[in-house]
Amino acid sequence: MTANYKLDAMIELRKYLWKELHTRNIFDEDDYWSDNLNENIIPIIPVQQSAEMNQFLSGKKHIVYDKIGMSYEDNWLICCEQILFTIYSTDISEINEIRNYMTDEFRRVDESARSINKWTGLSDKFKFHAVYIADISPTAPSEELQGFFAAEVILEIKYSRITDGQGRFL
Amino acid sequence: MDNSGLLVQVSSGLERMMYANQSGPLKDSTVAQISAFVYYEAAVISKLTTNKQFQNAFTKVMFDQINLDFGNYIDALARSRPKSLHHVYEWKKTGNKTARLFKLNKLSAEGLSFRIDYDLLPSTSMVPSANGRRRHVFANKASIMEAGKPLVIRPKNSERLVFEADGETVFMPKGMPVTVKRPGGSAATNQFNLAHSRFFSGRLVNESIKRSGFQKIFNSSMTKALRVPSNIKKVQYSFSANAIRSQADAALTASFGGVM
Repeated sequence: MTANYKLDAMIELRKYLWKELHTRNIFDEDDYWSDNLNENIIPIIPVQQSAEMNQFLSGKKHIVYDKIGMSYEDNWLICCEQILFTIYSTDISEINEIRNYMTDEFRRVDESARSINKWTGLSDKFKFHAVYIADISPTAPSEELQGFFAAEVILEIKYSRITDGQGRFL
Repeated sequence: MDNSGLLVQVSSGLERMMYANQSGPLKDSTVAQISAFVYYEAAVISKLTTNKQFQNAFTKVMFDQINLDFGNYIDALARSRPKSLHHVYEWKKTGNKTARLFKLNKLSAEGLSFRIDYDLLPSTSMVPSANGRRRHVFANKASIMEAGKPLVIRPKNSERLVFEADGETVFMPKGMPVTVKRPGGSAATNQFNLAHSRFFSGRLVNESIKRSGFQKIFNSSMTKALRVPSNIKKVQYSFSANAIRSQADAALTASFGGVM
């Protein structure tokens, strides 16, 4: 069977984060309705798409993410990645709210991983072992987006991809 | 006195116990052998922190991981905040690993300690030009933009400066220089230094040290070095302190001298 190499733990984490943010009413999905696409756009976007989304997200709070790096431990079944989230908002209290939620959710190491694993939306090809906060920056005026404030949260995740008997991805 | 010095001092008391003809109530091969055993282990441990191969292996494995993680961290930050960190990359290659204009250096210090500083490297690529004529290299781009130093540009190869500003072509009077108050933009000033400080003063560097796997040095190589040589395992009535110290040196070299 051919593995689905499009799957990515970072994307799974992003999906989980978005589910949490809008079910907790930290984000309102309807604020991100796109008439062109006729659907809601998820305002957690990879850094590579941030330039294209600037106009759509003008004035709206959003999160830009990027992978810092990934490596495998001696036990090669366990992958370790760092993901950088930059939170943008014109309102400093909104940044604090998102940052405080992320701190509360992702500071619990194996318990944070357990919460993600329990989520039914998670691909059955992944198992998270630990998630924790590697770094949080202070909130400061953004140099990239005028009028916005920005803060960064770096998460470190440890996870396994479900494999076959030869250790290859399923 | 540090622990290794104390260990040497204490274990030196064992030297006289390693001879069968020592004075005192205990005179048998068991005492000599136990003393030799403990003396050997003490010699290995006490020499560890001064052993060059161990120092090199220990600091290298840690520095290599920090260097890798720091580079990846700055690359990701630069992709997210190009206006702040574009100056530490070659033109138009912000966040690209192969275009970095910074480098970490490992500086030796006492024992197993080491210090890390950084250098901003000269740029070697041509400054992009709107009209397509690229003739200049701004070698000190990274350091000048990081420091936010004003820059004076004078005509060098022609009699006057000609450049485009806001879509207009500007002809400067003959010989007149132009001063750029904040080359790279004010957003770039001191930003690399701030990112560097954040990495090294927070959890990121600690995570990097943990990830370096330096514990492996202790787990595998130390176990190897602490294996008691076969001659000490044999029943003897006397052991040479000098020979045991040499064996401890040789074991450390054999354990840490190779590639880990």
